[in-house]
Amino acid sequence: MHLRTRKIIDRSATGIGILAIVVMTAALVVLLAPIFANGTGAFVFRGTAEFRKYQSDRFDRGDREVLTTEKETLRQVRQPVYDLLHKFEHQLKNDDDLDARFGAEFPKLKREVYRLIGPPPGEALSRLERDEYGATRWDRALVQADSIVHVQEDRGLDSHGFSLKVEGPRAARYKGTSLEPMFGYVEMHLAELLRPQWTFYPQFLIDNPQDANFFGGIGPAVLGTIYLTLGAILFAVPMGVITAIYLVEYAGQGRFISLLRTCISTLAGVPSIVFGLFGLAFFINTIHVSPSKSVLAGSLTLGLLILPTIIRASEEALRAVPLAYKEAALSLGAGQWRTILTVILPAALPGILTGIIISMGRAAGETAPIIFTAAVSVGLGVKPWEVFTSPTQALSWNIYNVSTEHEAVDQIRHVQYGMVLTLVVLVLALNLTAVLLRARITRRLSG
Amino acid sequence: MTAFGQTSGKISIRRQGGSLVLGQRADRLRHAVALLGRLILLAIASSSALAVLFIFYFIIRDAIPFFHDNGLREFFTSTHWYPSNAAAPEFGALAIFYGTGMVTVGAIVVAVPLGVAAAVCLSDVLPFSVRQWVKPTVEILAAIPSVVYGFFALVVFAPLLQDKGGQALSVATWLLFGPLAALAILVVADVSCGRLRERFRNPARAAVMILLTLAALAGLWKLSAALAAIHISSGTNALNASIILGVMALPTIVSVSEDALTAAGRELREGSYALGATRAETILSVIIPAASSGIMAAVILGIMRAIGETMVVLMASGNAAQIPQPWYNFLSPVRTMTATIVSDMGEADQTTGSSRYHVLFAMALCLLVVSFLANLASEWVVRRTVAKISAVRGTGGGDAASRPQGFMRRVWSWIGG
Amino acid sequence: MSTSKRSNRFLGWTLALVATVAAALVVSSVSVAEETKAPAGKIVCDGSTTVGPIAKAFADYFMKQTGVNVTVGESGSGNGAKSLINGTCDIGNMSRFMKETEFKAAVEKGVMPVATVIAMDGVCLIVHPSNPIKALTTDQVKGIYTGKIKKWSEIGGPDADIVIISRDTNSGTYETFAEKVLKEEKIASGVEYVTSNGAIRARVQNTPAAVGYVGLAFTTDGVKALEINGVMPTKRTIATGKYPVARPLFMFTNGYPKLGSPLHEFVTLYLTKKGQDIIDSVGFVPVTNYE
Repeated sequence: MHLRTRKIIDRSATGIGILAIVVMTAALVVLLAPIFANGTGAFVFRGTAEFRKYQSDRFDRGDREVLTTEKETLRQVRQPVYDLLHKFEHQLKNDDDLDARFGAEFPKLKREVYRLIGPPPGEALSRLERDEYGATRWDRALVQADSIVHVQEDRGLDSHGFSLKVEGPRAARYKGTSLEPMFGYVEMHLAELLRPQWTFYPQFLIDNPQDANFFGGIGPAVLGTIYLTLGAILFAVPMGVITAIYLVEYAGQGRFISLLRTCISTLAGVPSIVFGLFGLAFFINTIHVSPSKSVLAGSLTLGLLILPTIIRASEEALRAVPLAYKEAALSLGAGQWRTILTVILPAALPGILTGIIISMGRAAGETAPIIFTAAVSVGLGVKPWEVFTSPTQALSWNIYNVSTEHEAVDQIRHVQYGMVLTLVVLVLALNLTAVLLRARITRRLSG
Repeated sequence: MTAFGQTSGKISIRRQGGSLVLGQRADRLRHAVALLGRLILLAIASSSALAVLFIFYFIIRDAIPFFHDNGLREFFTSTHWYPSNAAAPEFGALAIFYGTGMVTVGAIVVAVPLGVAAAVCLSDVLPFSVRQWVKPTVEILAAIPSVVYGFFALVVFAPLLQDKGGQALSVATWLLFGPLAALAILVVADVSCGRLRERFRNPARAAVMILLTLAALAGLWKLSAALAAIHISSGTNALNASIILGVMALPTIVSVSEDALTAAGRELREGSYALGATRAETILSVIIPAASSGIMAAVILGIMRAIGETMVVLMASGNAAQIPQPWYNFLSPVRTMTATIVSDMGEADQTTGSSRYHVLFAMALCLLVVSFLANLASEWVVRRTVAKISAVRGTGGGDAASRPQGFMRRVWSWIGG
Repeated sequence: MSTSKRSNRFLGWTLALVATVAAALVVSSVSVAEETKAPAGKIVCDGSTTVGPIAKAFADYFMKQTGVNVTVGESGSGNGAKSLINGTCDIGNMSRFMKETEFKAAVEKGVMPVATVIAMDGVCLIVHPSNPIKALTTDQVKGIYTGKIKKWSEIGGPDADIVIISRDTNSGTYETFAEKVLKEEKIASGVEYVTSNGAIRARVQNTPAAVGYVGLAFTTDGVKALEINGVMPTKRTIATGKYPVARPLFMFTNGYPKLGSPLHEFVTLYLTKKGQDIIDSVGFVPVTNYE
């Protein structure tokens, strides 16, 4: 082959490798960018007056006096809208002609308007909080306002026999009626109707969700994830480390040991959903660790799931301890136990810790094992003394639940992203700790 | 160290005294205590083995009634999956096995070339300083919870595929096959004109290259136009699940392959360079063959990860129990075993054990068996690698001898994935 | 010397980490707990994802009113029945009635399941508003979904291929549809599967030739609901059983709850005006009607 071609092939091979790395990094960026960009929207966003009102009513937050004055201003700005709606509703009742034209559409329109600026006092459409308040976020308000101001209009039939639909101003449809001015008013005074302000809402992390996550935060889910993770660690660490000590310090190369190793790697390969089935069948239905799904049952299941990882990490850390340490201790006359406890374990501790922290990240993010053993979609935050009996929300399960089963998935995107961001930050923080720890170990071993 | 010296000093004195002064009884007691401690350790250590046995026991126990009542034939050969039908339920899981296989194959197609290329780059190309920045990327990819991948697939990727899928595919074709075609053209032109006389060689090569380039451009243009015209009706489909699963399997494949490539050793590389091979030739014809079984292990681990994954396929695959038409249609929704278990388990009649309930355990058993076999296979492959590397090295120095063992352990640590 | 010092420092690090986490835990649990002063009890619901939205909205309202902690799990009807029988929940939410075998198992364990129909769930066929079709029969719908009817013109509509959209086969909505309309016949292979009611509505909104099926609450906003067998899906026709594609939703308890207990109050919430408002606004049909 031509030398130049060989060179080019050589360069291209390098290029392909670098391309692969770039693609991988790009995948990470593409994955994380929307999560960080939209997730922060759950904490920092343009909150409307409705948001402040809700916070004040429900959580007693904010300056009362300021809110009272704001309420008064808002009442004045909103009154014309309510007046126009009431007037038109009244006309509908008395005018059959008008009723035939708008009777079916008007209640829906009214509902949309109330969802934007909130119903007038004492006239909520239902007892659900989502119907008692208007749009709490400016981004949602813009979408809502658009659905009020614009409408799909019929424009004859197309060649296949479908009628053509074109988006047009709703005001044109109400031309000549008493409601016509409302659309212009809403469009013109949207900012005054809702008074958006940049809001920082860190309590998102600890507030209870309200009305199926339409309001409030994700407190119980965060708490549940922390409980489940710590529970899994409490269960898996002693077992894992002891197993590792046995494998490193006591076990020979016998058939039993190789069987044990095969078992451990099999355990590591078991799909997570199978752990879930097992947790349900064993912990809850066979040995009854708790009367219902519970944090305890979920922790045990997760603990089993991360056990192999902890065993492996500990084993490696223990094996990495230089033989000289052990020999020195033994030659000084320390017993095997004392050597393990005072020399080998402390020396291996950072490595073991790294393994533990990485497994914590894994336990925090697992969903399938806790569906049947611990997770519920609604429930208050679990108090520490209830962990043995109470099921809990958890970030991972609630992300799935809120983004697939929820009746209004599109309207609570910010909550979904907020949850995802919280989980990702939690897991990344744990992994960062592990990376830093490992950097220290490397430095120590090399230095 | 001072603290140590003191305590161990005391012990040693006591010990010396023990053997001389104390009677046999105390000695026996100490032996008994040591034995007891060891037994306790053994008991705790075997509990993980016990857990595996229990898992197998519980799954098999609940899977047997299904096979007992319904036999094997329908489950493995029929595609009619209507477990909820009250009158005449059908439990043909073939389409579900097919769906699992399809997304797994898709994930491997995405992850293996990318992962191996990245691993080669990490082990042989990048300088240490850059590598230090790339490795955390791999780790972060591995650390992100699967439900987050699933959320991304459902909320960001699926709408994108549905709205701009065709265009995206055609752009991807250009990006992927463009450079590859250019490289292929270069090689073909060079090889085909290599025998010509010096005078004609360059013009002939230029002519061949121009011709091939035109042909390739035309082909690519046609392909991308065809792809751009595709309208993807549902964003949650096998393609979506495959790509996301592929990205999830990447870290496993990159790390394990990189370890295998590094373990192939400096001697091989230096030998190859000394013979005048370029880096690409060294990698392709020396290093990758030497590390092939390690890469194989990486692929097996990647497959395991893809098969066992639950949340991503549940959220991204579309959950339709059907064999796509035509069979290779990745744009059609499919359903996998894990997603079936997690979504049907709740609805099935669990208390008295209807077939609808037991069939899910039958499926879990299949999963278990597959992951068990894959596990054994990867262990076997790793063992073979170690044997091969030691054979190549002979009984080298301490450093060389310790390497394969370290590699094996690292692979084991990755089996956990 | 230096080794032990370093490992001590690591130990210190770990302790600090654990302490921080523990502190965070205490703070957050206290701050989450402070909101609901001394809960008076606990109600555990588990079961159907279809009943989930109602149970969740009830729980939310109930917790606010009484301070009783209500947890709602959504892991499926079968799981709901099982949990009730095993005594691991107070209320089993189910989108189907208990099976005979489940009943038997319950009685054997000393559990007496009592069913309460809290709402009706209707499955409505929707098309794009520009589609001139206004009504279909169940046989026609079955024909469409089993692939026998391929063009709208075959049933008097425009000249276009029908784009068939279905919920994924995990959903309760699909099960109702399969049971009441398809009569358990095989669904056609060219069907698009979509994972939520909202997603079906979105697909139909954007696709003139599409047909899909959703819960009653999703028949607004840019889609058109069809009459089935001459009956328009409305709250009234669904509640009275005239509309053919409807089913009741249940809450099962062990025996009838003690009168006046929080559980009783919760299970009978659907009888109150507020409860019906809630059912209505999450998209289901209340079974009792005060109008």
